Amino acid sequence: MPTLLSYTLVITGAPWSSQAPQTALTFARALIDAGHRLDRLFLYGEGVHLASALSAPPSDEPHWPQEWSAFLTEHRIAGVACIASALRRGLVDEREQARYELSAHNLRAPFQIAGLGEWVDGTLTSDRVMYFHGSA
Amino acid sequence: MTTLIVIDQPPYGSWTGREAMDMLFSLAAFDQPAALLFIGAGVNWLRRSQNASGIGQKTVEKNLSAAPLFGVDRIYAEQAACDRFLPDAGQRVNGVELAPSVKQLLDQHDHVFFAG
Repeated sequence: MPTLLSYTLVITGAPWSSQAPQTALTFARALIDAGHRLDRLFLYGEGVHLASALSAPPSDEPHWPQEWSAFLTEHRIAGVACIASALRRGLVDEREQARYELSAHNLRAPFQIAGLGEWVDGTLTSDRVMYFHGSA
Repeated sequence: MTTLIVIDQPPYGSWTGREAMDMLFSLAAFDQPAALLFIGAGVNWLRRSQNASGIGQKTVEKNLSAAPLFGVDRIYAEQAACDRFLPDAGQRVNGVELAPSVKQLLDQHDHVFFAG
């Protein structure tokens, strides 16, 4: 019987400017199908764009934020966007909108905004941490 | 568990190196052992007396100098990359250990993160 593992996935590449979210989603589906556990998806750097509620690609193209959101919701997996990366790139939830007195919020459910401690926790508690980068 | 953060891009061209430093400091803030390795053009982070004011940025030397304050006391640089970019030891900031074998360093750490 194969050893079942727990994973944290980290995406640092943005949708459409990199293949990182797509590759990570394929990997995530495969690991769930194989019986492994996905503890958390952590978005960092350019990867936070995956949590935007305002992406609107043409209807005949894959909608990676929507696909990831549906996957996370279906499997009850936490999706976390790093707060420092998110704020730099204009991704905010209602709390940060109020804190910085911004005109709108745009975080897609079920993503949450939190600190790098979530990533540190993943390195400590998951059996494997996998990184999906954009191009250098 | 020990973590090695690897930076292979030069400073200033992108934000990935600075964000990798944030990860390093977060590990240290949670009392997790972590070290830093510069490879390839990334060793230019270690160039002494940088002046980034001309491009409107803060020098990364300040980021690096914060490492000991967070308890990060191991900063490595790939020997071959230093031979190419910073051949004179006087060109480099203090406290950097040269690594003849990157593979050996990677093998010594449980967890490796390459700056994206």
